[in-house]
Amino acid sequence: MFLYYCDLAWRSIKKTPMLSMLMVLAISIGIGITITTLNVYKTMSYNPAEKRSDQINSIQLWSQGLDTWDEYQSNITYKDVVNLRNNNELSVKAASYRTGLAMQSDNQDIEPVLESVRVTDRDFFTIFEVPFLYGDRWGKSVDSHPAYQVVIGEKLNQTFFDGQNSVGKTIYLNRKPYQVVGVIKDWNPQPKYYDPLNGAFNDAEEIFIPFSLTEQEEFDVWGNTSGWKFEPMLTHQDRLNSEKTWIQFWTFLETPEQKSQLQSWLGRYVEEQRSFGRYTDTAKSPQESAQISDVALWLENNDVVPRDNKILVGLSVLFLSVCLVNILGLLLTKFLKRAPEVGVRRAIGASRAQIFSQYMVEVGIIGFIGGIVGLLWAWGALSILHAEFSMKQSVTGLDASMWFITPLIAISTAIIAGIYPAWVVCRTKPSVYLKAQ
Amino acid sequence: MLHIKPILSSLMRSKSAPILLLLQIILSVAIVANASFIIHERLTMMQRSSGLMEEQILSFNVYNFDPAIDNIQQNIIDQQILRGLPNVIHASSTNMMPLSGSGWMDRYVDNADEEIAESMPGFALYLGNEHLLNVMGAKLIEGRNFRPEEINTQLDQSGMVAMVSQPLAKAFWGDESPVGKTMYQGKQTIEIIGVIEKLQGAWVNHENFEYSVIQNIDFGGGLKNKTYMVRALPEHIPALEEAIVKAFHAENPNRVIDGFSSLLDMKKESYSNHRLMATLLSMMVILLLLITALGLTGMVMFNIQRRTKQIGTRRALGAKKRDIVHYFMVENYLICIVGGLIGGLLSLQLGQQLMSLYSLPMLPITYPIAAIVGLLVVTTLAVIMPAMKAAKISPAMATRSV
Repeated sequence: MFLYYCDLAWRSIKKTPMLSMLMVLAISIGIGITITTLNVYKTMSYNPAEKRSDQINSIQLWSQGLDTWDEYQSNITYKDVVNLRNNNELSVKAASYRTGLAMQSDNQDIEPVLESVRVTDRDFFTIFEVPFLYGDRWGKSVDSHPAYQVVIGEKLNQTFFDGQNSVGKTIYLNRKPYQVVGVIKDWNPQPKYYDPLNGAFNDAEEIFIPFSLTEQEEFDVWGNTSGWKFEPMLTHQDRLNSEKTWIQFWTFLETPEQKSQLQSWLGRYVEEQRSFGRYTDTAKSPQESAQISDVALWLENNDVVPRDNKILVGLSVLFLSVCLVNILGLLLTKFLKRAPEVGVRRAIGASRAQIFSQYMVEVGIIGFIGGIVGLLWAWGALSILHAEFSMKQSVTGLDASMWFITPLIAISTAIIAGIYPAWVVCRTKPSVYLKAQ
Repeated sequence: MLHIKPILSSLMRSKSAPILLLLQIILSVAIVANASFIIHERLTMMQRSSGLMEEQILSFNVYNFDPAIDNIQQNIIDQQILRGLPNVIHASSTNMMPLSGSGWMDRYVDNADEEIAESMPGFALYLGNEHLLNVMGAKLIEGRNFRPEEINTQLDQSGMVAMVSQPLAKAFWGDESPVGKTMYQGKQTIEIIGVIEKLQGAWVNHENFEYSVIQNIDFGGGLKNKTYMVRALPEHIPALEEAIVKAFHAENPNRVIDGFSSLLDMKKESYSNHRLMATLLSMMVILLLLITALGLTGMVMFNIQRRTKQIGTRRALGAKKRDIVHYFMVENYLICIVGGLIGGLLSLQLGQQLMSLYSLPMLPITYPIAAIVGLLVVTTLAVIMPAMKAAKISPAMATRSV
C-alpha cells in the first residue's frame, strides 16, 4: 500500500510541477538556514569532556579587592597556584598556562620554528586523557623538582624526527636542551576546553613542559594577564609575586563528596589568606569566594558559544516556521484543487483514512526532497563560511548527526504543515463533487 | 470606490487561506524588522574609521631566542635595519597592534594618593618611540609628538610623557585641554603632551575601543618577543616581507621572524564575525521576502482559478478590468496591513527579548515600519501579475458553463 501511495504521490507531484517546486524550494531554504546555524551552534557548544564533564573541574578564586572586578576571573594568581599545588587533599591537579618558545633539534637542516607551548603538570595528561603514541608523561618527582623534560605532539615528531620513536632524544627550546619523554597522538579537542581564553577554536599546543620550570625559566605568558590594582611588572619575580591572574588550575574529582570537601577546604584556605591580608573583598563569605566549575559550566562562563549564534538559531527557527506556514498555504491550495478527484475516489469506496494517509505520504515525500536539497544548501553555506570568514574547519564541517537530523526535521515540518490540508480534503463530501461532474 | 465590505465578507467566507497569509506576514515583519536592525547596527560598526593609514601598515613579530642577544640593543639595531630598507617610509617598535584582538589595557589616575585619586577609563596602552605616530599615520590635533631624547627603553624609568586619543580626553577632561596635565601610575608620573584625533585599540567589541594612549617607550625591553610596525606604499608591501626576513637573518640568524600581517587584514579578521552576522541575516531577509512573494503568488493564482466564474460574471455585469485588479489588490493589502500591524507589535516584543537576553540596543520603531512598507511592495509585486491575468478573463469564457 505504501509503495502504491508513493507512486500516486509522485504522479501528483509531477502533475503540478510549479507548485511542488515552490514547496520544495520553501522547505529546503528553511531547512538549509536552520541546519547551517544549528550545525555551527552544535559544534561550538559541544562538550569534549562528555561523560567526564562533571569530574573535570577548574578552580576560580575571588582574590580581588573591594570595588574591583564584579565577576570571577577564569585564571588565578601564581601565589594561589603554588598553595593549591602543595595541597595534598587534591590528588589529581594541574596548573596550566601557555607560552611560546623557538624549537630546534640536532638536525640543523630544519629551520627553528616558534611554537606555542603548554606549561603544565603531569596530571594534565590524566585529567584530559591525552593519548600517547610513544613513551609517557614525565615522572612525579619532576612536578616538584624541575627537570628539562618535554612531551611533544605527533606532527612535530614527524617534522623533526621523521615520525620515529623520539623518546630519549633531545630538542632545543630557546637553545636549551630538553629530553623527550613522550610523544602524544594527534590530539586537538574542539572547542579547546582546557584553555578557551585565547580562542576556543585554536589548535592545541604540541609541546608540553613541566610547570615546575616556571620560576627559573621566566617564560613569557601567551595569554591573558589581568590585574585589579596597580602593580609594576618589571621582572618575572614581580609577576610571580603579584595579585595578577594568569594561570588556569584543573583538578579531577571522582565523586561529588570530593567536590564538597574541596569546596570547604577552599573556604578555609580563603580565610587563611585573609589573615595574611589578601582577599580583601569581604563582601563575599570565604565559602563563596571559591568557585569550582565543571567543564559544562566552564564553557558557559567563558562564552565559548558567542551570543550571535544564539540569536541566529532563534531567528532561523522563526524563519523555518514562516516556511512552514507558507507550505501550509500552498498545500491547502493544491489539495483543495483536487477535491473533485477525492470526491470520486470516496464515492468509489476509499476510506477517509486511506485518503489521509495518501496525502501524508505525498507531503512526506515533498519534505524528504526538501530536506535533501536543504542539506545541500547547508553544505554550500558552511563551505562559504569556511572560505570567506576564516572560520575553522572544525566548526564548519557538517556534523555527522546532521545527516540524520536534517531529513527528520524536514519530513516532520512538512507533515506538520500537511496535517490540516489533508484533513480538510478528506472531509470532502463525495456527493458535492459528484453533482458537479 | 474601494469596495471593502464585499471583499471582507468574501474573506470571511473562506477563512483558512487568509489566516495563513496573515500569520506569514506577522512572522515575516517580526523577523525582517529585527534582522535589518541588527544588520544596520553591524554595518555601522564596521564602517568606523580607524583613523590610521590602514592600507600602508605592515606588522610582524620577531622572536629572539638566543639568550646571548641583548634585547634592548637588538631593538635599536633592528629598527635601523628597517628604516634603511628601500621603500620603507617609517618604522617603529610597538607593544600591540590596533584592531588585532590582542593588546594591553591600562588606566592612569589623577593623583599620587590612591585614596583620593580618580581613575581614567581603561584605555589601550601603546608603547612606542617618536616614529610610531608617523607609522600609524594618526593625526595630532593638539600638543606635540615625542622628541627623540625623551624616549625610554624600560617601564620603570622617569620622564614619562604620553599622547592621548581625543575621545579619551573628552571622556575624562571634558572640554578642558589635557595638555600639560600630570597623571599617575603608582609612583610613576606621566605628563600628557598631545592629543591624537583618532586611535583605536585592539578589541573592536570593547566599549572603550576609541580610548587610547601612546607612551614614550621604545618597546624592546627585556622581552624576546617584539612587534614592529612598518609603513610603506601598498604596492611595495608584498616584496617587503622577504626583504625584512633576509635583512634580519643576515644580521643575526638566531630568531624567528613571522606573523606578517597588514593592518587591513587585521581589520578584516577582527570584524569577520560582524561581517558574518550581517551576511547571514541579509540572506535570511532576502530569502524570506522571496518565499513570501512566491507563496503569495501561488495562493492568488489559485484564488483566481477558483473564482473564474465570479470574475467573469462581474465582467459581464460591467466591471472594468481595472476593477478586477483593484479587487485583488485591496484584498491583499487588507491582509497585509492587518498582518503588518500585528507583526510590528510582535517585532517590538521580539526586540525587547533580544535586548534583555543579549543586551542589544532597543529596536527603533522605524524598522517595523520599514518592514511593513517592504512587505507592501512585495505584496504588490506578487499580486499584480496574477491579478492582471485574472482581469483578462473574458465574460463569455467564464459564464459559458453557467
